[in-house]
Amino acid sequence: MSIEKINGCIGCGTCVKTCPTDVIRLDPKSGKAIIKYPADCQICHLCRMYCPVDAITISPEKSIRVIVSWG
Amino acid sequence: MNNSDSNTGMTRRKFITVAGGVAGLAALGSMGIYSGWGKNETELNTEEMMNEEHSSDVLVIGSGMAGLFAAVKAHDAGSKVIMVSKGRLGSSGQTPFAKGIFAYDSKTSEVNLDEFVAQVSRSALGTNNPVYTRQMAEHSLARVNELKEWGFFDSVLYNKPFCKPMAQRNIPVVERIMITNLVKENGRIAGAAGFSLDEETIHLFKAKSVILCTGAGGFKPNGFPICDLTHDGTIMAYQIGAKVTGKEWNDGHPGKAKNPAACFDGWGNMFERKPELTSVEIHHDLGVDMNYLAYMKGNPFKMGPPGSEENINISGGPCRPAEFSRNGHAGEPPKPPKGKRPPKKGGTPPGMGGNSVGGSSAGMAIHKSEGLVPINDKCESNIPGLYAAGDALGSYMAGAIYTQVGSSLAGSAVQGGIAGEAAAEYCKTVEMQTILPVKMNEIQEEILAPLKRESGYSPAWVTQTLQGIMIPNFILYIKKEKLMQAALAYIEELRDHHMPMLRAADMHELRLAHETRNMIISAEMKLKASIMRKESRCSHYRLDYPEMDNENWQAWINIFKGDDGEMKLEKQAFGSWPV
Repeated sequence: MSIEKINGCIGCGTCVKTCPTDVIRLDPKSGKAIIKYPADCQICHLCRMYCPVDAITISPEKSIRVIVSWG
Repeated sequence: MNNSDSNTGMTRRKFITVAGGVAGLAALGSMGIYSGWGKNETELNTEEMMNEEHSSDVLVIGSGMAGLFAAVKAHDAGSKVIMVSKGRLGSSGQTPFAKGIFAYDSKTSEVNLDEFVAQVSRSALGTNNPVYTRQMAEHSLARVNELKEWGFFDSVLYNKPFCKPMAQRNIPVVERIMITNLVKENGRIAGAAGFSLDEETIHLFKAKSVILCTGAGGFKPNGFPICDLTHDGTIMAYQIGAKVTGKEWNDGHPGKAKNPAACFDGWGNMFERKPELTSVEIHHDLGVDMNYLAYMKGNPFKMGPPGSEENINISGGPCRPAEFSRNGHAGEPPKPPKGKRPPKKGGTPPGMGGNSVGGSSAGMAIHKSEGLVPINDKCESNIPGLYAAGDALGSYMAGAIYTQVGSSLAGSAVQGGIAGEAAAEYCKTVEMQTILPVKMNEIQEEILAPLKRESGYSPAWVTQTLQGIMIPNFILYIKKEKLMQAALAYIEELRDHHMPMLRAADMHELRLAHETRNMIISAEMKLKASIMRKESRCSHYRLDYPEMDNENWQAWINIFKGDDGEMKLEKQAFGSWPV
C-alpha cells in the first residue's frame, strides 16, 4: 500500500519536509524515517524523488480505510 | 480493549478524562457499547504549548510558484518579507507537478496580444477577466526568463531552483507551519496565525500586508496531487470578511480506473519530467464533458480520443463553442506550436490511456477561477492589505474552463510578482498594527480546540463522509436542484454538528482537523453557488438548466460572510470590478 518500505535511510529528513501530506516522520529513537500516517499518502512519489539515497519504495495500490458508523 | 496505562502512569489529562467519565463509561458498558469510541487519545499537553512571534512588512503564505514570485518581488520592491509554508518551498501544492509553462513572446508569436485575449474570451464564453488574461501573457516571458536564470528548466524537482533566489535575498522561509487564521485589526490586515506540524508551537506572524499564495483545494480526492490543498487561504480570508468567487466551477480531470489513488502512475511518469515551455494553444478543455458521458453511458468508460465515435452520438451535455471543437475546427484553429507535433488523431494524451474514472480532482475548480475576488488588476482583495495570487485568487485569468495550455503555472508566477510589488507599495503607506493579547488568546483557543476535546469526531471520518456526499458524479458534476439541496442538508449537518466536534490527537491530526473544517465550508460554498447559477456554462453543468442563459448569467458569483455571520451570495457582472 502506498509507501511500502524505507530501506537504507540515512536520517537526513528530506522526505519528511518534502511530503505534501505529512506522511513521514523521523523516529525519535532510531532517527530514521518511518511511515507514520500511511492513510494520508497521495502516491505522488515526491519523497522518493527527493531521497538522496533512493531508500523509498512505493506501490500504486492503496486500500481505503474501513467505513465505520460513527466518528 | 482500552489502552493500558500500566507502564508509566497516566498523564494528568488522561486522569481527568477517566475520573470524569466513570459514570458515563459504566452506563455505556451496561448497554454493551464499546466505551472507547470517539475518545481523544492525545498525549499532548495543550497547557504547555509554546508561542513564537515573527514580524515582517509582507507575509507570503504558501511556497509554490505564486509564493516564490510574491516573496522575491516584494523583497525587490523594498519590503522585509517572510514566507511561511504548510509544506516545503517548491514541493507542496500543485507546483511540483506542473510541467508546462506558457511564455508569450510578441516577437515570435503569430497571434497578437489582442487576438490572444479575444480567443481566450471566446473559449471561456465570457467567464474570463480579460485584464488578467492579458496581464498573464504580457508578463509571462519576463517571469520565465527569471526562472531560467534560477535553473528551473534544468531540474525535475523545484526545491533547489526555488531556493536560489530566496537565498540570494536572504528571505526567511518558515516551513511545515499550517496557517489557520488571518488577523484583522481596524478593518485592515494585521497578520496571521497557525501552528507547527513538528513542535507544539503556535506561531503569530505580524505583518503590514499578507499575500495568500495558498493554492486552490479539493476534497482530498484520489488520483490528483492536491490532498494538501483544502482551500485554506480562501476560508481564512472568508472568515475575516473577504469576498470569494468561482465556487460553482469544476476541474474535470479524470483518473485511472486501475489504482485510482496513484497520482504518479496515473500521470504516466510525467512528474519525473523537466518543465517545458508552451506557446499559444487555446483549448476549451477539462470541463465536465466526460462526466456527462459517464452519467449517460456508465462508468468506467474507455477514454476515447478527441472526436472519436465513442464520444459522439450522445445528445445534450455541456456546450462547447464550435471554434474549439475537438472534432475539427470551425473558424481559424490555432496552429500547433513550432517544433511540436500536433496531437495524433486517434491517439490518447500521454498517460491517459486505459479506463478512466471521474472525480480525481474533486472539489477543485478550473485554475485561477476560484478564490479571493480581486478588486483591481493588482491582486488586491476587499480587505486592505490582503492580496492573493495564483490559484488562491479568483482572477478568472483563464475563465471557467481550461483555455491556454501552460498558463496556470505562468499565471501564478505573473500574479505572484504583481501581488508582491503591490503589497510592498501598500506597506509604505501603513504602520504595523498592534495585535492585542486577548485577540491572540481567542485565536489560540480556536486553533487548539480539536486537541483539547476529550471526545468528538476524527477528521479522517468526517472527511470520508464529506467525500461520500460531494464527490458523486450526480452531485458535484452533473448537477440537479433536488440532489444539491439534499447534499446541502448533509453538509449543513457536518458544519453545525461535526465541525465543532472535530478532535485531534497530535499535530498531524490537528492539521487534518483544520483542513476538514475548510473543506466543509468550501463544500457549502460550492453547493450554494451551484444552486444559484441556474444555467450551464463552461465547467458548470446543470441537467435541469442545460442551456447558457446570457440574459441573466453574464455574471460571476461572489460569496461573503454577512454581518449576521451567514453565508451570502451576490452577482458581479462579467468584465466589472466589485462595487
